[in-house]
Amino acid sequence: MSEHDHKPAPMVDEVSDFEILEMAVRELAIEKGLFSAEDHRIWTEYVHTLGPTPAARLVAKAWLDPEYKKLAVADGVAASKAVGVDWVNSPPTKFGTPSDYCNLRVLEDTPTLKHVVVCTLCSCYPRPILGQSPEWYRTPNYRRRLVRWPRQVLSEFGLQLPPEVQIRVADSNQKTRYMVLPVRPAGTEGWTEDQLTEIVTRDCLIGVAVPKPGVTSNIKLPVHKAVHPVQHGHDH
Amino acid sequence: MAKSDSKELGSESMGQEADVTTIPVLEEVRNHGKVWEELAAQYGVTNPDPPWKVTMDATCDILAADSNVVPHAQVVPGSCALPLLERRIEEDDLSTTIYADVPFPERQLLALAHSMIRHGLINEEELARQMEEVGRRLKSV
Amino acid sequence: MSTKSHHDRNHHASIATGIGDPQCFKGKAGKPKFKEGDSVRVKDLPDLFYTRCQVYPRGAVGTVTKLVYESPAAEDEAWDNSENPEWFYSVAFKQKDLWPEYSDAFPNDTLETEFCERWLEKP
Repeated sequence: MSEHDHKPAPMVDEVSDFEILEMAVRELAIEKGLFSAEDHRIWTEYVHTLGPTPAARLVAKAWLDPEYKKLAVADGVAASKAVGVDWVNSPPTKFGTPSDYCNLRVLEDTPTLKHVVVCTLCSCYPRPILGQSPEWYRTPNYRRRLVRWPRQVLSEFGLQLPPEVQIRVADSNQKTRYMVLPVRPAGTEGWTEDQLTEIVTRDCLIGVAVPKPGVTSNIKLPVHKAVHPVQHGHDH
Repeated sequence: MAKSDSKELGSESMGQEADVTTIPVLEEVRNHGKVWEELAAQYGVTNPDPPWKVTMDATCDILAADSNVVPHAQVVPGSCALPLLERRIEEDDLSTTIYADVPFPERQLLALAHSMIRHGLINEEELARQMEEVGRRLKSV
Repeated sequence: MSTKSHHDRNHHASIATGIGDPQCFKGKAGKPKFKEGDSVRVKDLPDLFYTRCQVYPRGAVGTVTKLVYESPAAEDEAWDNSENPEWFYSVAFKQKDLWPEYSDAFPNDTLETEFCERWLEKP
């Protein structure tokens, strides 16, 4: 077999009581109003992400420049160059096959169409432009349920969509990698490319969230600072 | 290391031990739940942490709110659902007693649920019910 | 026995370097059988060894949204056979056509995924 990328990584194919307990505790806390599903998602996203990705800048540029948006939708690989990502000439590995296929499709949302990305067969992800995939993206829970109950799964991420919005799930099963180009939110009129880039967080690019003014990947959450020595003191 | 720091800090500033009596719904999980160590070995997965660890950490952090950064003495009572230091002290106490034989991070999760029940944020019956609900959802095919 | 592997592990990388995969197979699949807007049904072929065709869309009818690229099928490529590139199609389905129990409250919800030509037929 020469296709490293095609061989599904082993995964834990059963639901444990601990997984259920984690979700149950979280959902009860949400039900009781201790926090919202969306707040929780933002917090989780923050834990993994350091600053905006090149894909976020691609989106900001597309919002500002209709010609660039056309290019992005028609040829994601060409459009990536403008944000410093060369899919073809700088693959992450130089051994065997290029470990990332070079066909990026940028899925454009509209006010009545919302895209969300999954890979049901393994966990294909547009790494060159979006970095490593989050843990939850690789779980059987997400991969199995998103294609079948997308609205249920999105609401677990705190995203409720009205019935008039069509959901389109993109299942990345072959050589195309997907990212979402969300709708530019109201309240961002006159913003610069840098400002817009900040609100296009990783989850918006996967499609489980939508950008909002004030919600950025550089948000200053209290988790980052003083908590460190205490939080990570569990290891023996 | 940091564990003993927080413990010392805790016994000075808090002066109380966690309630370490067992809770039936959590005993069920601890007795029948498969821990990540076991699952990872069984399925040949190399990731050291279960996927739910990140979301559990976020739950702990978000319940702790400002107490993540403010020194414990300055935390306004009632300003957060479950202050960081209280949860950590309870976790330490529970980790050396009733959950002593449970590996990390499963014991952090049991301790979190334990503290949330003892602090009255959730109760046993509703947790049992919600677990059934979630289990049905995750296992639906 | 020779210590040198007779299998060229870098073959694929060398044809894709500087061009990209699937770009390196461009122009090698011949005339496409389907075009944008065509209705297609996903066949239920046997998959004894390796496939990238999911089970859930088999038998369902969808619409070709885009001819995406040319490439050997994963079923061949998994065995290092890149002799016969095919056209790949992106196909959109109504969720209701994939999952009969999908809620009628959301009749417009869709799913899009890719197939190589051998998996598709006229409905």
